[in-house]
Amino acid sequence: MIEVRHLRKEYEDVTPLQDVNITINDGDVIAVIGPSGTGKSTLLRCINMLETPTSGEIVVDGQVINDGKTDLNEVRKKMGMVFQSFNLFGHLTVIENIMNPQITLLGRGRQEAYEKAMDLLWKVGLGAKALHYPDELSGGQQQRVAIARTLAMDPEIILFDEPTSALDPSMIGEVQSVIRTIAKTGTTMMIVTHEMDFARKIANRVIFMDGGEVYEEGTPKEIFERPKKDKTRRFIQRLSTLSYRIEGTDFDFGVVVDELQAYAEKLLIENERTSKLQIALEEIVVNNLFEMEDPNIYASIDYSEKSDVLSLDLKYKGEHFDPKTSDNVLFNSILAEKTTTLTDEILEDSPKWYNNHTNISLRWEDAQ
Amino acid sequence: MKRVFASGGSAARKLTGINGSKRALRKALVLTLVLGILMGSLTSFAAAAPMESKNGITQISQLDGKNIGVQTGVLYEDEIKDEIEGETWLYYKMPNDMIPALESGRIDAYLIEEVGFYAQRYEHPELMRLEEKAGESQFAVIVGNNSKQDTLFPQIQEFIAEGLESGWLSELYDYWVKNWDPNTCVIRNVPETTGENGTVIIAIEGGYEPFSFEAGGYYSGYDVEFMMNFCAKYGYSWDFQAMEFDSIAPGAISGKYDFGMNIVVDEERAEASVLSDPYYTCDLVFVVEGEYEGDMGFFERMAYNFNKTFIKDDRWKLFAEGIGRTMLITVASVAFGTALGFAAYLACRHGNKAANAIVGFINWLVEGIPTVVFLMLLFFVVFASTPLSGTVISIIGFSLIFGCGMYGMLKVGFGAIHRGQFEASTALGYSDNQSFFKILLPQAAQHFLPIYKSNVISLLKETSVVGYVAVRDLTKMGDLVRSRTYIAFFALIAVAIMYLVLEALLTAIISRVQLSVDPKRRSKDKILEGITEVE
Repeated sequence: MIEVRHLRKEYEDVTPLQDVNITINDGDVIAVIGPSGTGKSTLLRCINMLETPTSGEIVVDGQVINDGKTDLNEVRKKMGMVFQSFNLFGHLTVIENIMNPQITLLGRGRQEAYEKAMDLLWKVGLGAKALHYPDELSGGQQQRVAIARTLAMDPEIILFDEPTSALDPSMIGEVQSVIRTIAKTGTTMMIVTHEMDFARKIANRVIFMDGGEVYEEGTPKEIFERPKKDKTRRFIQRLSTLSYRIEGTDFDFGVVVDELQAYAEKLLIENERTSKLQIALEEIVVNNLFEMEDPNIYASIDYSEKSDVLSLDLKYKGEHFDPKTSDNVLFNSILAEKTTTLTDEILEDSPKWYNNHTNISLRWEDAQ
Repeated sequence: MKRVFASGGSAARKLTGINGSKRALRKALVLTLVLGILMGSLTSFAAAAPMESKNGITQISQLDGKNIGVQTGVLYEDEIKDEIEGETWLYYKMPNDMIPALESGRIDAYLIEEVGFYAQRYEHPELMRLEEKAGESQFAVIVGNNSKQDTLFPQIQEFIAEGLESGWLSELYDYWVKNWDPNTCVIRNVPETTGENGTVIIAIEGGYEPFSFEAGGYYSGYDVEFMMNFCAKYGYSWDFQAMEFDSIAPGAISGKYDFGMNIVVDEERAEASVLSDPYYTCDLVFVVEGEYEGDMGFFERMAYNFNKTFIKDDRWKLFAEGIGRTMLITVASVAFGTALGFAAYLACRHGNKAANAIVGFINWLVEGIPTVVFLMLLFFVVFASTPLSGTVISIIGFSLIFGCGMYGMLKVGFGAIHRGQFEASTALGYSDNQSFFKILLPQAAQHFLPIYKSNVISLLKETSVVGYVAVRDLTKMGDLVRSRTYIAFFALIAVAIMYLVLEALLTAIISRVQLSVDPKRRSKDKILEGITEVE
């Protein structure tokens, strides 16, 4: 139904879309996720030409719409859009917000438009608010009216641009449930969202965008449970990383400690776990691996907000050191705790020729 | 032009709409009362023979270091400047404005031609002249720099020469000047003219007795009778146009008028323009205030002033005409200016570079030039060679001024609307025009209408300068009456009150419009017009 081909959007100072290719089929419910500033909203706004693409093609029902010849107003009547900031018309009542576009754009009679509007208003649970003005409604109510306004136009596809981002947490649910009801009717939808659970539950396809491109695409299961690519995994797990490459022994451990403290503070990791990690790092790297000639170590400290796991991941070259053979009492007691998981292995054919891999994961509570 | 920017608080604005206009009316009424009483007390002097100079000045030599008034543009002060030391000259637009200045002590004496003094003393017997004459002045006719100049110049020269030789000019001078009586002096017989050689446009002061003044709906006086006879002799029709004295010479030099009357002869002026030989000569005198005693009570004086200002010679008709003219210019300029501002905004709103450059330039020009200068430029330079009247040119000028203000208001008004309103309507499929008129304008109007209202009032007040381009508006009519009655305060205050009433009227009208287009004030029936409600 809609095809996006080699879409590129440049501004003077940034290029939010590099090269995007997507096919939207009838009945698709597509969730677009990804870090901030990766062009998700720009993509949506290009599809209905609120932004003019720099290059590439948007094809709707076999017709290229960004060739400058197409009557965009006709195309837009078939595409609904729901904005982050609702954008209800402030000078019109709720009922008029839904009626007027039908009358002006679809040529419906006042009575017909009114009945359609009231029907939809009751469906989103706001029939009683018909004669109120938008500024008399809460954010969640305004967004439900905006959705009703879009539905009244009988669109073939609805584009949702972060529909719940501007809402109080208490109002997110009411709007999401309305959207979920629409999804069940088979309406084609494309939703840009930061709500991962919502995306997972509602979509049949998930697009992960990064760096102005479609980085990974798949079913919700594929993207949320078995992401193939590293950035996707990091994003899904909400992973933060601190990494060091250590070559030679003239390495300032004090700097690492300072950075680790700042990192823990930012991510709200408890002091207790942070000091455990620090002890493990000191014991393995400084006390043991530095004994080697020309140590070459890659250390990475990862924290996943999603699973609440803090881990130390070490890859190094040369002679193997087994952490269990350590004679450090404190370190041994950490390893012995139930919340600690140790994996230690010798790699046969590492692509980056590190031949040893040690990982210590620290959980806050016992693993279920 | 005064600029006000939009601020929030639509609820507060709704209320000031109705109350504002009522308040303005009430204010005007209270002001009328207060000023009426003030006016009476200020003007309650009376007629009696002067005893002696109030401030002791009896000789020119006593004027050293004093403040002396003189009319702008007549250059009388050049004649006597060298004989006085350390004096300060204060310039007045109308000779009669020097009387209240003298009486309030702002000036110690003023310099005027003998003729003017006699005319003034008729109404103000407390005035007295110094015996010594301060000089004499010759007056000529300036001939307009246009295609008729080559014909008209020799004709006026011939006419003056013949008039001097036959004694007709000195007879005319005796009648109008030496034996001046405002109650009896009229043009004795309006000569017949064939008009076969077209019309000549004659610029006169119009409020300058006994040379040119308004009398019962016509112009009368020495200059008028003189020029009527000229026109009759050479087969022209006449068209007298009254204006500020300092506009006469520039207007003739620009070719706008064929003749300008009562021009003081001096070398510089003779070089810059075509001047006739003098058609009369008169002494210049200093006028001071003499001792006098009043003989009229407060109410008697009020009634006398009222009668002279409004009733005598049907002068209320002048005020009525002035109000009509002021309103015509204001309303027409508001209408055209609003349309102009909208056109400019529509052309510019999508960032069209050429349109923005043009509108920006006009805006800069119109808002940067003082209103009077701008109007005079239009009148004497831009449209000098066209037959457009001062009223039409004023409407053009004020439409441009109001249009620039309107453009600014629209920018502020539309700028206050969230971009999302436009995006949402576009995304629904509204065309650019549909979204402008159906979605953006109704919201922007609520932002710019309060500023619009105050801009209309500013415009009404600003139109008071159109006298400079020969338009007889309310202010100019007040001046004309003032110059006839020699009673400065009464007519001025009357004019002020009339402006206040007009303001209240305009404010009330716009407030009503503002309320009627406020979408949030619609009733439920209006919103659901033609709909059968369902439950």
